[in-house]
Amino acid sequence: MSFTTHTTRSGFLLPSIHSVPPFFTEQPNPTTQSQNISQWTRLILAYARHRRLFVLRLEDAETSGGDWDEVLRNERINRRVLPSHLSAIMESMITNGQAVYEPPKQTRAVLLYWRLPEEWAEVLHSWATDTANLNTILTFYEITDPPVPSPLSDIPITLLRRVIAVLAKTGRAQVISTGRTGSGEENEGVRFFSGGK
Amino acid sequence: MHRLGGVGLAAFERQIESQRSFAELSSELSKAQVDHLHSQLTQFRTALSHFAATHRDSIRRDPAFRHAFQQMCSSIGVDPLAGPRKGGWWAEMLGLGDWQYELGVQIVDVCVSTRERNGGVIEMSELVRVVSKLRGVSSGVITEDDVIRSIKTLQPLGAGYEVIDVGGGKKMVRSVMKELDEDQAVVLSEAQSEGGRIVEDILVSRRGWARERARAALENMLLRDGLCWLDEQDESTGRSYWVPSAMRWDE
Repeated sequence: MSFTTHTTRSGFLLPSIHSVPPFFTEQPNPTTQSQNISQWTRLILAYARHRRLFVLRLEDAETSGGDWDEVLRNERINRRVLPSHLSAIMESMITNGQAVYEPPKQTRAVLLYWRLPEEWAEVLHSWATDTANLNTILTFYEITDPPVPSPLSDIPITLLRRVIAVLAKTGRAQVISTGRTGSGEENEGVRFFSGGK
Repeated sequence: MHRLGGVGLAAFERQIESQRSFAELSSELSKAQVDHLHSQLTQFRTALSHFAATHRDSIRRDPAFRHAFQQMCSSIGVDPLAGPRKGGWWAEMLGLGDWQYELGVQIVDVCVSTRERNGGVIEMSELVRVVSKLRGVSSGVITEDDVIRSIKTLQPLGAGYEVIDVGGGKKMVRSVMKELDEDQAVVLSEAQSEGGRIVEDILVSRRGWARERARAALENMLLRDGLCWLDEQDESTGRSYWVPSAMRWDE
C-alpha cells in the first residue's frame, strides 16, 4: 500500500497524509498528537484559503453535506474526523492565534485566520488605494460585496471590523457611524487614508 | 671443578661483553626489519595511491566498484578514513572522505526531517530513496552499503544513529537515542510486510505471541516511544496501529 496525494473535486490537492487511516484518530501520545494537530491545522487553513471559507463548525464533522466534506472525510479509505478530534484541533488553532471563537463565549464555531488580521489590513488598504476609494466613505457592504469581485469579497463583517481596527490604529482608516437604517441596524461606514505605514 | 666461563672478575666482564654484542646484533636486525617494512609500506602505499588515482572516477561514480575497493581496503587492514590529515587518506587521494561526510550530513538531514512522521526510525530503502532524491542524478548512485558506512562515521557524534536488522533482509535506521527491543524489531518487520498496519492478531497468529505480549509491545510503541500511530476507525478490529517508518509515502 502506498499513500498518495489526491486532487479533490474542487481542485484542492490533498497531501499524502490525508490517505493514511490513523491521521483521522486522536493520538494518545502527546508528541504524536501535536504532530497530528499541526498537520491538520495546516491542511484546514490551506483548504480554507483555497475555497475562501471563513468559518469552521463542529457540525461540519458531525454531519456530512457541508463545505468541509472533502477534507474532514476521506471516503476512499472510509475515515472521518470525529467531532472531539475537530474540537481539539480548533482549540489548538485558537491557542496559536490561527483562529478565534466566533461568536465568542462558545466553542462550536471558529473564524479562521488563513490570513492574519494584520495581513488582511494590508490587503484591504491596497484594495482601497487601487480602486481609488481613499478619503471617501464606504459602507461595509461596499467592501464585502463590491461590483468587481475583490480579495475581500464575502469577508465576514466581524473579521472586517477587526481588520479596520488594525488600520485605524496606524491612522489609515476611520470608522464612521452613519446613523441607523430603517430596520434599526447600525449603519457603519469607513474612510481610508493614504497614510504611510 | 671447572665451570664454564670460569670464576672471578674476568667472568663478569666477559658476560657483560657478550650481552652488549647480543644487544647490538638484535638492534641491527630489528633496524633492518623496520627498514624493510618501511620500504614495503611505501611501495604498497604508492601502488595503492596509484591504483586509487587511476580509478578515482570509477570509485566515486560506480557503487559496485566502490564497494569492491572498500572491501579490499578492509581485508588488507587499511582504514581509508584513518590518516594523518583531516578526512584521512581518502580525502588526500580521492576526496572521498568529504564525500562520505557529505553523505552523512544528507542522511542526518533526511532522518531529522522525517522524524516528525516516523518517530525516528526509517526504513533503509526509503532512506536511500530520499537521500538519492536529495542528491540529484548527477552525483551518482548511492547504495545501502554507502549509507551503512556513512552511519558508522557518524557514530562518534553520539547522536544514536544506528542500523538495525529487523530480519528478512530488511534494515532500518534509527536516529533517536532509544533502544529498540527485540519485540519491537519483530513488530517493525511485520508492519513492513503489511504496508505499515499492524494489529495484535497478526503477531499472535504469525509469530505465536501471547495476546498480552502483542498488546504490551504495541502499546509501548504507541504510548512510550511514539513509534506508531493509532487508528480507532479500523474496519476489522476497531483498533489498529500504524508504523509510519514502514509506510511507503509518495510526496
